[in-house]
Amino acid sequence: MEVSLPISGAADSVPRSVKAATGPTANAPSITLPLRFMIAGLMALSTGVIWLIAQPSVLTTYHYNQNVIALTHLFVLGWICTVVMGAMYQLVPVALETKLFSERLAKWQFVFHVIGFVGMVWMFRRWNMTQVGHFGSALTFGVALFIYNLIRTLARVPKWNVIATGVASALGWLTFAVLAGLSLAAAKISFDPDAIPNGTVVAMITGISRVVRQFEPLSAMHAHAHLGAIGFFIMLIVGVSYKLVPMFMLSEIQNHRRALVSIVLLNLGLIGTFFTILYRSPLKPVFALLVTMAFIVYGWELIAIVRARKRQPIDWGIRYFLTAVALLAPLSILGVVLSWPRLPLNAFTGQLENVYGFLGLIGVISFAIMGMLYKIVPFLVWFGVYSRHIGKAKVPALAEMYSARWQAVGYWTFLVGLVITIATTLRMNPLCLRIGGGFLAVSVASLLVNVASVIKHFFRPQLRPFAAPASAVGNRL
Amino acid sequence: MNAPEISDDTILETLRQVIDPEIGCNIVDLGLVYSVAMDDGVVTIKMTLTTPGCPMHETICGGVQNVLHELPGVRDVQVDLVWEPRWNPAMMTDAGRQFIGARI
Repeated sequence: MEVSLPISGAADSVPRSVKAATGPTANAPSITLPLRFMIAGLMALSTGVIWLIAQPSVLTTYHYNQNVIALTHLFVLGWICTVVMGAMYQLVPVALETKLFSERLAKWQFVFHVIGFVGMVWMFRRWNMTQVGHFGSALTFGVALFIYNLIRTLARVPKWNVIATGVASALGWLTFAVLAGLSLAAAKISFDPDAIPNGTVVAMITGISRVVRQFEPLSAMHAHAHLGAIGFFIMLIVGVSYKLVPMFMLSEIQNHRRALVSIVLLNLGLIGTFFTILYRSPLKPVFALLVTMAFIVYGWELIAIVRARKRQPIDWGIRYFLTAVALLAPLSILGVVLSWPRLPLNAFTGQLENVYGFLGLIGVISFAIMGMLYKIVPFLVWFGVYSRHIGKAKVPALAEMYSARWQAVGYWTFLVGLVITIATTLRMNPLCLRIGGGFLAVSVASLLVNVASVIKHFFRPQLRPFAAPASAVGNRL
Repeated sequence: MNAPEISDDTILETLRQVIDPEIGCNIVDLGLVYSVAMDDGVVTIKMTLTTPGCPMHETICGGVQNVLHELPGVRDVQVDLVWEPRWNPAMMTDAGRQFIGARI
C-alpha cells in the first residue's frame, strides 16, 4: 500500500500517547533564550576580530595595557561567556535530563550581562576603573543570577554523573573568577581617591583593595585569567563534551573513571595553579604539569570515544571541536614553559605570554565554541521551525540548513589565521598580524553566513510534501 | 464497524518518513523501531533512540504519532520508548548503515 500524506495533515485533536519518561526536549527552555545569547556573542566576536585588525598592536606589545585588557574582556565576556552561558541554558537541562529552574531569571541575566560587558569593555579602553567596577557589578549580578539558576537546575538532576560534576566545577570556578576580577578592579579604584564613593562601600572597597594589593598586580591578573579561562571555559568544554561528542558521533564514554579523573585532576591543578601564580611560587610548574596531565587523560578518553564511534564520517562541527581540543597540547607545553621560575623576563617572554593567551582564548576555546555552534544554532532553529511538522511533511536535516563548503572555508582560514597571528605576534610584526587577523575575519564571516542561512529558515521554512514513502532512506546530507 | 487492519510493512514504510534530523536518516533504517503492532485501530510502536537524553526525543516521537495518524483506520498511536535493548549499529538496515557510514 502506498501512502502519501499532505503537509500538516494530522489534526491536533487526535488522541495520542507516548509511554516514556519526560522528554529532554520538554526540559529545554524556549529557543529564543539561548539564541539571543548566541547572536549577542557573535556580534562581540565580529567586533573583536575587526578591532584586532584595526589595532594589531594589542598583540605585538606587552599585554598589560588598557587596549589589550579591553579587547580581552570583549572576547572573554562578550563572545565566549555570552555564548557559553546561552548554550548552558540549553544544554544543561538537555544533557542532564532535567528542567531549567527559571527562564525569567535567565532573561534578566542577559540584560545585566550585555550592559555589564559592553560597559566594561568601553571603560577598560578609557581606563576608568571606577566605571569598570560599576559595570562589572552589573555583570556580576547577572552572573549571580546565572549561577543561582544553574545550581537550582543541578539540584534537580535525577542522576549525578561526570557531566554534572564538570558543570558544577565550572560554576564554582566562574564564581571565583568574577569575584577575583571585581577585587582587582577594587584595588585599582583605591589609587584614585576622588573616585571612591562614601559610606560602607568605601570600607568594603578599601578592605578588598588592601588584600589584593598584597599581591603583585600582574600575578593577580594572571591568576584571575586562569580561573576564568581554564576553570570555567575549559572545564565546561571537558565536562559537556563527555555528553555531546558521544551523542553526535554515536559513541559512548569508554571509561567513566578515566573521565572523572580528568575532571578531578583539572580541579586540583587549577587550585594549585591559582595560588602558585598569585604568590609567584617556584612550584608553578608542578601544577602546570598537573593541568597538563588532566588534559592528557581527557584526550585519552576523547580518543577512545572517537575510536568507538559508530558514525564513520566526522562532520565539520565536530572537526572544529576536536581540532580545538588538540590545540590543548601546544597550549599545555607553552603553559609549562611559561611557568618555569627561571624564565628570563624579557620582551620575547612577554610575546610568548601573548601567544599563550591568544592560543587559549581563540585557538582552543573559541574554535571549540564555533564547532559547537554548528550543532546548537541549527538545532534551536530547526526545533522552533520544524519540530511540529515532523511526520507531516518532509523537513530538512540539520546539516541541510547550512553550507558544508562555508564550514570548510571557515575551518581552514581559521587555522591559517591562527598560525600567522601567532607567528607575527612572536615577531612583533603588526603589519603581518593584520593578515592573520584577516584570515580569522574570513573564518568568522563564514560562520556568520552559515548562521544567517540557518536563521533564514525562521522566515522561509523549507517544507515539502512527502513523496511515496516506500523507498525513502532519508534526506541525504 | 471494525477499522481496516494495516500491515506491519505499511506501518514501517510510513515510519520511514520520520527522520532523525541530526543524522538525516529515517528511524526505520536507523534501526530505532523495535516492533509495530495494530489492534482495533490502535497502533503500538516499540522504539528507542540512539542515545538516552537525545534532545530530539519528543520531536521524533511526535513525528511517529503524526505520520501514523494519517493512515486510514488508525484511531490512536501508542509510542513505547524503551532503552533495553540498547540501540547499536547492528540494528540498522543495510541502507541505514550505508547512509551513516556505520562501523560494525
